[in-house]
Amino acid sequence: MKVLLADDNQDRAEAVFRDLTAAGIDRIVRLAPGKRLIEAVKAELPDVVIVDMSRPDRDSLEAIREVSAKDPLPIVMFVDRDDAAFMEEAIAAGVSSYNLVGSALPDVKPIAQAAVAIFRRYQKMADDLREAEDRLNERVIIQRAKALLMQQRKMAEPQAHKWLRQSAMNSGKRMVDVAAALLEAAEKRS
Amino acid sequence: MTRDNAKRPVVRIGMLRLSDAAPIVAAKEYGFFAQRGLDVRISVEPSWANIADKLSYRQLDAAVTLPPLVFAVTLGLRGVGIPLIVPMQLSLNGLAVGVGKGVADELGMEGTPLEIGRRLADLLPPRRPRLRFAIAHAFSTHNLYLRHYLAAAGIDPDRDVELMVVPPADTVRAMQDGEIDGYCLGPPWADVATRIGVGRTIAPSSEIWRNHPEKCLAVRRDWAEANPAVLDDLLVAALRGARFCDDAANADGIAAILARDDYLAVERDTIRASLPGGGPGHSVFFAGAANFPWVSHAAWFLNRMARWGYLGQDVDRAALAAGVYRPDLFRAAAAKIGLSVPVVDAKIEGAHDAPWTLAGDRGGIPMDADLFCDGQPFDPTE
Repeated sequence: MKVLLADDNQDRAEAVFRDLTAAGIDRIVRLAPGKRLIEAVKAELPDVVIVDMSRPDRDSLEAIREVSAKDPLPIVMFVDRDDAAFMEEAIAAGVSSYNLVGSALPDVKPIAQAAVAIFRRYQKMADDLREAEDRLNERVIIQRAKALLMQQRKMAEPQAHKWLRQSAMNSGKRMVDVAAALLEAAEKRS
Repeated sequence: MTRDNAKRPVVRIGMLRLSDAAPIVAAKEYGFFAQRGLDVRISVEPSWANIADKLSYRQLDAAVTLPPLVFAVTLGLRGVGIPLIVPMQLSLNGLAVGVGKGVADELGMEGTPLEIGRRLADLLPPRRPRLRFAIAHAFSTHNLYLRHYLAAAGIDPDRDVELMVVPPADTVRAMQDGEIDGYCLGPPWADVATRIGVGRTIAPSSEIWRNHPEKCLAVRRDWAEANPAVLDDLLVAALRGARFCDDAANADGIAAILARDDYLAVERDTIRASLPGGGPGHSVFFAGAANFPWVSHAAWFLNRMARWGYLGQDVDRAALAAGVYRPDLFRAAAAKIGLSVPVVDAKIEGAHDAPWTLAGDRGGIPMDADLFCDGQPFDPTE
């Protein structure tokens, strides 16, 4: 079993590589950054291809056989295209796995599953980071709105906080949205 | 503003980094969707494969996409597939066939695109190795129009040249590195290639088929059937977006929005060139019944897909064309803004070499020429 791994995220590719190696897959080829996916498929003729879905050159794997009748290549198919739940999970995790016809599905599926699990873990890390950044941004916006209230309406800090919270509750909005609207209105006036 | 009492679903629309997605981006950014009570989330995807996968597994409801890909997804020719419909066309024209400077110098740029194409035959096997042309996807308009052009010039696209799938944003680098000799590219990427100086246009796609259909709005059939009122509002807003984008006076503003990092991340002036009022062969978004989903367009795509071996001869093409392309849905939406729409679903394609008038339900519709470069009209009933 030969696996081609196309992922420019070196950290994540390393994690998939380790997992597959531990599972006994000894022929894993990693696509070097900047290298073309289709060239590697032609040169390596892997059984399975694991592709980061953010790669634009994934399109080159679609119906490659038909694009050039002169250059016959194995038919490329999604691993488990009929297992909708698994495919949805893979898409949500941002990874797609191809089976180059000739390899038996039972051997291929665990490889795809291992890749999905790792991509999902990395996605969660990225989501957590984004959420933390958003929360930080939200705090900054609320602070600025409070400063504005303190300056313009001569409120003390706890009062400004209470005012924002009350407005949010009354209007069924989040505090940060009330704060942002307040800042925007002030900007328009100035 | 909410139009129904019931909560309306968020509409998830996919697109690629292409300037002919402008009608949908404009409808979002200029508030046409919001005016119809729609919450539209646009998702800019890196590949057509992502668009197709996310439609197939219901993670997108609709997409700005390519008609041949719509049929491939509907028939399950790539991946598992899902039935899609095309209730609206979004753009005409806008692609360009180009070659590198070296090839262009050998060819000479004088004459019509077809004459240049015929001279291209002298640079091919057996005299030379095959020239390599980049296309965006196997199931793309790029592929079908390039093949039509080459075949009209007496070149066999399967034997005499090599067609390779290269991501549009990567084409400039592939040209610089000598991995490819030419391309058929969508907007604004052909303009990027020409501006950087790695490519010269030998045939705007509008010279291969005048006012040809380019991007369409594809919608999942199950979603459309579950949300008819939302779809109707979506079409009305998209139609307003298309009309807005067709006015050259709005092109600067639209180019500035498309240039943003969350859309195309391409320089504004380059995008501007592919919009109305821009360079030759630019996109048309509204004029000449541009948004009408002609069943005869569908028939042409299916005919060409079969011609080049992408579709089995056993597929009932007439039934597929009429099932996927939905002029009925378009007419209902167009009526809401008092737009005159064609009274027939299909026409003979490529029969006009000059402007003409098409019968519409609220008066004649001014149309532009629709000739093919080989001069052969296409009768969808044949």
